[in-house]
Amino acid sequence: MRRMSGSYRSALIIGIQGIRARKLRTLLSMVSLFLGVLAVVVVQAGASIAERALLADMEMTQGYDGTKVMEVLPNDKLGTIVTDTLEGQPDAIAMLTTQAIIGEPGVKPVNEGGSPFDENWGGGMICNGPGPEDCEPINSGPPGAAIEIRLSALTGDIRTFRPLRPMTGDWLDFSSVPSLAPKLVINREAEKGFNRHQVPAEMRINGASANLTPQIVGVVDDGDYQPRAYVRMDELSNWLPSTAMTDPNSGGAQLQVLLGPDSPVEKVLTSKLQAAGVETYAQTIESYKQLESQLSLMRLLFLSMAGLVLLIGVAGILNVGLATVGERVEEFALRRAVGTPRLLLAGIVLAETLLTGLLTAAAAIGAGVAGLKVVSMLVGQSEPMLRDVQFPWEAGVAGIIAGIIAGVLGGFIPALRAAGIPIATVMRA
Amino acid sequence: MTEPLIELTGITRILKGQEEPRTILDGVNLTVHRGQSVAIVGRSGSGKSTLLSILGLFDRADEGSYVLAGQDISRLPERKSAKLRSSHFGFVFQRFFLLKHLTAAQNVAMALVNGQGWLPRRQRRARVMEALDQVGIAHLAKNRPVKMSGGEQQRVAIARALVRDPQVLLADEPTGALDTETGTAVIDVLLNATTRGCSLVLVTHDRDHAARMGRTMSLVDGVLTERVPV
Repeated sequence: MRRMSGSYRSALIIGIQGIRARKLRTLLSMVSLFLGVLAVVVVQAGASIAERALLADMEMTQGYDGTKVMEVLPNDKLGTIVTDTLEGQPDAIAMLTTQAIIGEPGVKPVNEGGSPFDENWGGGMICNGPGPEDCEPINSGPPGAAIEIRLSALTGDIRTFRPLRPMTGDWLDFSSVPSLAPKLVINREAEKGFNRHQVPAEMRINGASANLTPQIVGVVDDGDYQPRAYVRMDELSNWLPSTAMTDPNSGGAQLQVLLGPDSPVEKVLTSKLQAAGVETYAQTIESYKQLESQLSLMRLLFLSMAGLVLLIGVAGILNVGLATVGERVEEFALRRAVGTPRLLLAGIVLAETLLTGLLTAAAAIGAGVAGLKVVSMLVGQSEPMLRDVQFPWEAGVAGIIAGIIAGVLGGFIPALRAAGIPIATVMRA
Repeated sequence: MTEPLIELTGITRILKGQEEPRTILDGVNLTVHRGQSVAIVGRSGSGKSTLLSILGLFDRADEGSYVLAGQDISRLPERKSAKLRSSHFGFVFQRFFLLKHLTAAQNVAMALVNGQGWLPRRQRRARVMEALDQVGIAHLAKNRPVKMSGGEQQRVAIARALVRDPQVLLADEPTGALDTETGTAVIDVLLNATTRGCSLVLVTHDRDHAARMGRTMSLVDGVLTERVPV
């Protein structure tokens, strides 16, 4: 291990002695600096937590960074191309989404069109001409006890690509034998609907050979504001032929393929689909990049404000530093008399202010950690963003950097003064 | 006679203030041999402290040459002067200049923790205790200056000057703040250092103390002359 040179060690030892000799003054310097460093820590922590939360939300709805999302237009030629190609591939899954109604048959669902339960999108219109007078609402029967949801059928575990948050119950088990009564995992909006409305367990899907009896096994947070349920594709295909799944006339069906960043499946699947005349659109998820541009300006703004508060703290440390040097003229002159170089004298003063800055940073980081814990305990239940939130390391680093900058800026002029004290002061005293 | 350690030749120092330039030292010649003790006497304002400042490399002469152990150090840069002050000189002042927040041992160690080389803590402590022992106050190592008498404080200051085994001890009225008896004891300690080959230059007003030195020089209006013992 490389050891510090004698000068550094001397500066450190004398600096610590100086701080111990002037504890109250050091404390006052720390108090003046504390708010500035704390402001930097809080801004950085807030920005990092917000960034994490936003990123987590984006990942939940769009996918992890680097995930490739291939949109495949429903086509009756699709057949089993997708499911066959993806079978046994751990880094790719397909998600087929269609509309489903759970509840009484032949009635209008309480959330027609799969709308969120606090909104009403209506059930759509059929238009026979170009003008609004040519349109009439779809007659979907009398209002009844039924809920319309988006049903996403999966060929594998989507959580590899999108971090859905489990709320209650279980997630889909892809390793077991497919059940004839499809297991559903619903999202929070769907849970809201099922809590509000008592509906019979009968599920209708366009093109299905019969009405299904689903089993709801769990609830997840998927960030979607529409009611949605996830189901195993093989459990659904018992009742819904693959041609019906991908029938472009079935209405609202979407097929997405999620692929890992370096998945070889993409090329194979694309070629097979192109050969079958199916159009595909692929995009790579870049949530962080997208988020960074949104947050950078806001972070800069807050950091500038924190910087101003820090400057006030620096002025405090500078003031105390100058007063201390003024008091210690004889000490510094004496140190020069016994052979201490000017540079080391400056180093001693800088070491003191740096140590003060670092101690303040430690105190501010400690306060930040404690404050975040308290906030998390108090409002964590109502604010998921703050539930079990960890103190971001970036905020700790920012606090230390702020402490170092404050120490150097606040100690620079006093250090110059100390180095310039004439040695003859001791002779004239 | 041993070889000369210090050779000042034609040292002149002129103070250029707002008024007329004032000659403080006027062509001072001084030779000090190894282990020799020299007293410099003179009235206040005669230039004794200025001469000591030049000897201790606190100040620089306007004219003349300063040779230390055969090396001309008349025009030494500050960095090298600091190194020489640390390695060759020990200083004792009228006011003891002890740092009151440090113990006696830490005050002595100040001369070792000065960026001029590094001693591990154990060696540093041994050197400090040896120096305190030389001046007879090793038992007060952990005491702070406020708990010590004037004589004890001056001994700590002398231990600080001796801890690096200097070749020259420069003392500026070290007994000025002490009573006669304590002052005599302090001079004993200083003279004791010369028995180990360390030269001593003592600035004093006290004739008795001056008489105990090997040589006595008188500084009058910036001119240094040797006083021949009667």
